[in-house]
Amino acid sequence: MAISKKLFNKIDCVKIEKVTKKYGHTIAVNQVSLEIRGGELLILLGPSGCGKTTLLRTINRLVEIDEGRILINGKDNRDFDPVILRKNIGYVIQQIGLFPHMTVRENIGLVPKLEGWSEAQITQKVKELLEIVSLPPEKFINRRPKELSGGQQQRIGLARAMVMDPSLLLMDEPFGALDPILRKQLQEEFIKIKERLNRTIIFVTHDIEEAFRLGDRIAILKEGKLIQLAKKNELLVNPADDFIADIVDSKKKFKHLENLTASDIMIPLDKKYFFTSDSSTDSVIEGMVREDIELGIIMQSEKFLGYVKLQDLYQKNDKNLKHFIKQSMVFKPLDSIALALSMMKEKNEFIAIVADEKPIGVLLGNEILSRLI
Amino acid sequence: MILYVWKTQQLGIKTFEHLYMVFITLIIVIVIGISIGIFIYKKQNLSNIILNFLNVIETVPELALLVILIPLFGIGIKPTLVASVLYSILPIARNTYVGLTNVDFQYIEIARAIGLSDKEILWKVRIPLALPLLAAGIRIAIVFTMGVVTLGGLIAAGGLGGPIQTGIHLYDKNIILVTGLWIGILAVLLDSIGNFFETLLRKRYGQ
Repeated sequence: MAISKKLFNKIDCVKIEKVTKKYGHTIAVNQVSLEIRGGELLILLGPSGCGKTTLLRTINRLVEIDEGRILINGKDNRDFDPVILRKNIGYVIQQIGLFPHMTVRENIGLVPKLEGWSEAQITQKVKELLEIVSLPPEKFINRRPKELSGGQQQRIGLARAMVMDPSLLLMDEPFGALDPILRKQLQEEFIKIKERLNRTIIFVTHDIEEAFRLGDRIAILKEGKLIQLAKKNELLVNPADDFIADIVDSKKKFKHLENLTASDIMIPLDKKYFFTSDSSTDSVIEGMVREDIELGIIMQSEKFLGYVKLQDLYQKNDKNLKHFIKQSMVFKPLDSIALALSMMKEKNEFIAIVADEKPIGVLLGNEILSRLI
Repeated sequence: MILYVWKTQQLGIKTFEHLYMVFITLIIVIVIGISIGIFIYKKQNLSNIILNFLNVIETVPELALLVILIPLFGIGIKPTLVASVLYSILPIARNTYVGLTNVDFQYIEIARAIGLSDKEILWKVRIPLALPLLAAGIRIAIVFTMGVVTLGGLIAAGGLGGPIQTGIHLYDKNIILVTGLWIGILAVLLDSIGNFFETLLRKRYGQ
């Protein structure tokens, strides 16, 4: 088995030059030029149908362009063999697409296996990657995708994308299908992974908050055209036109920031998030995986004790749920959001609970809002 | 009465002959059927012609097919095997083809995106995910083959069709009843085994 060579050890820049892609009479991508710098996370942001996904897929040639060219480290991507090119570029999508007939290990190790790695090398690499995406390897390595929650599957999807150590990662709304609280948790985790790995990442999303949380720079697309490419602060302060102002919402939503309360911004909690303190750790894990959440609110009869995170529960074999409970800041529904967020920021807390008599919602660190405060 | 028929008609050895023919047919037909399935998946423009042709064979009544084959293969096991094979290719070839083409597109897409070649996609993704449908095809083939092999008794192929023939000639209800029921039970048994494997594959490879 021939071992494909590594095309780039490091990305200096990816240059997209006047790229156009048509489908019949529809122009999906229209004369887009932009440059992705080595090591940055560039967001492609825009409403559905704006061409962001198509543009992303032209980079690893899942979509062949009609006009223009794409240079990776100065080389036209059409000069590479597409199969080898794609092995050098990680790819993560919203639907994840783990193969149902393979275990976690086989899913992550598929390309290495085709590349002729030894079984021991594959196992070692898979374990390493599972650690990075905070899934204890011994518990997960032999599971099948069906036995995993959506959040866990997406972690495996990310691990699979990184298995060949690509210096470039393409991500297409990877957290889009997840529960809102879980989405924020995974974004938070992803930021840490990203800092640790130091890759160049192109990330497609339609979620402005996600864009601001994760991106170094943001490119906004509309109807196939690039409208603005800027650092996030510039977008807030200097939107290029009304469309962008509308997207970043800088006019309407935050105008009366001082009047917003915790209950306006919180993500409401429904029944699935609540567990009683006398439950066993295993039953809580099972419940969270079934509901596809990774945060649980622990109650003792009517009293709020704190929260647990699924990741923590996996870390040690301890039947006593109480040992995993974390305390959190608690705000009243009518507390000012400005106050709440600045207190969270000060204490470096990502999660806070909004409670009246009992918890009714969760406040998560909010990038855009805290910038505006 | 059952024991009497079983002994006089040597149902034990006939069962063995019968299952032997079914087994040989299945091996041949699985190899041919899967090959045709993969072939028409690769050459999609031929798929309609070939599937239609197999369909035509399928519409020829079993008895007529056996009779047509006598001038070519004589009587006995040979024409029976040929007829069972011809009959059972369609379900396997068709299910292989449908299984390969109907794999959820997201899996094909991600396989391409992580750098699998078309050939690797076929072997690592399409074929495994097509296995449950393929198993369903083999199950249908088992049932078809049981029927044709039984009819083979008419042209001296041996197997359990023989005693039925005898029963008809002697107008012996007991022989017909016992043998007929036994064939029925065998068919149901084989089908259940097939069903077991199909369910197993579906659990493991189901999408």
